[in-house]
Amino acid sequence: MIGVPAPPEIANVDRPRKELLTWYFFKALATLFAFPVTMLLFYFRYHTMRYKFDAEGIHMSWGILMRHEIMLNYSRIQDIQLHSNVVERWLGLIRIEVQIAAGTSDSEMTLEGLPDPEGMRDFLYSRMRGSHPGTTTAAAGAPPLEGVLNEVASELRSIRELLEGRRT
Amino acid sequence: MLRGIQDQLLDLMRVPYEPQPPDGSAGSIHIFRSGRNYYRWRLIVWLAANFGVLVLVSILLFVISRAIRFAPPLGRFVGEALAVLLVIGFLGSALCSFLHQRFNYELRWYIVTDRCLRVRSGIMNVHEITTTFANIQEVRLSSGPLQKLLGLADVEVHSAGGGGKGSSSGHVARFEGVDNAPEIRDFILARLRQYRDSGLGGKDATHTADTEEVTVAAARAVLAEARALRTTLQQP
Repeated sequence: MIGVPAPPEIANVDRPRKELLTWYFFKALATLFAFPVTMLLFYFRYHTMRYKFDAEGIHMSWGILMRHEIMLNYSRIQDIQLHSNVVERWLGLIRIEVQIAAGTSDSEMTLEGLPDPEGMRDFLYSRMRGSHPGTTTAAAGAPPLEGVLNEVASELRSIRELLEGRRT
Repeated sequence: MLRGIQDQLLDLMRVPYEPQPPDGSAGSIHIFRSGRNYYRWRLIVWLAANFGVLVLVSILLFVISRAIRFAPPLGRFVGEALAVLLVIGFLGSALCSFLHQRFNYELRWYIVTDRCLRVRSGIMNVHEITTTFANIQEVRLSSGPLQKLLGLADVEVHSAGGGGKGSSSGHVARFEGVDNAPEIRDFILARLRQYRDSGLGGKDATHTADTEEVTVAAARAVLAEARALRTTLQQP
């Protein structure tokens, strides 16, 4: 699965859905007096948010003044979490939190406002390490090496015996 | 009747139905659920909490009824309204928290396939975690004295990472209140054993297969040399 480009319905995702802005509005409301400031930040966050799903990993970027860019390799994903509260579900949104192995307790990447979160989850899962039976068969494929080495040892033994026989 | 109300409530809250099992080999899907005792245990906790609140509400009502006697008419009205609000509030919260306990028990799924596991929980905040066995670091069993009495335990499956905010944070899949914890643990450990390279690192199937092939080829070359050497020696 390494290096295989993402299927078109995944690769075509580059902007969050517009329902995300509605959710950001409610989220900003919850900050009460800070509403104008937080709403402005969320507004820019929404309008500058870009996704890119290529063959190797996820690229995500947002922000104008504070520019953020995250790149994450599919095979480094530790676990995929889906979160949604009542309001988000009413708007048809689900957050996907992708975790990699790092010290921080926050999720490394939160994918918000994706058109088909469950399809995306299945796609990310299919690119995760260990999601294919190949890993186990590779581990089970060890015996050939062992067998060859044993044969080498027996050949060497008979050579030694031959040499010993010649010496006497 | 109760079933119908419950379904409508869940519909209203847009709670998704049973999670779809993750991709795995056919027939390898196991779905574990919380034990029946888990529900009883949560009900006991609910009863205890509500009893505490009930005592508090009664004391407040008593104080209000005393204060009302010496109050002017307007004060009386406010006092009575306060008392009614208190009772309604208490009953409402008791009902809601009861339903919450019920849903919390019913809407929990712990799905294990041969390659990964998926845990779904929550009602207001629905939370689902999917991780592969190749990424699992440790499996933990825990149960308090009361839980032990009820034959319950929690199984925690940790993947790599900090997860510093406590048990509810990321990197942990919790099988909460299961009554067959040792069985689940053995089940997971047996699957983990199939993965030699479990844990960290970006090694993938293709890489291991490649390096293995190269080593085998090298060993074959050594074997051919040794065989040739023997045949030369055997010639008189």
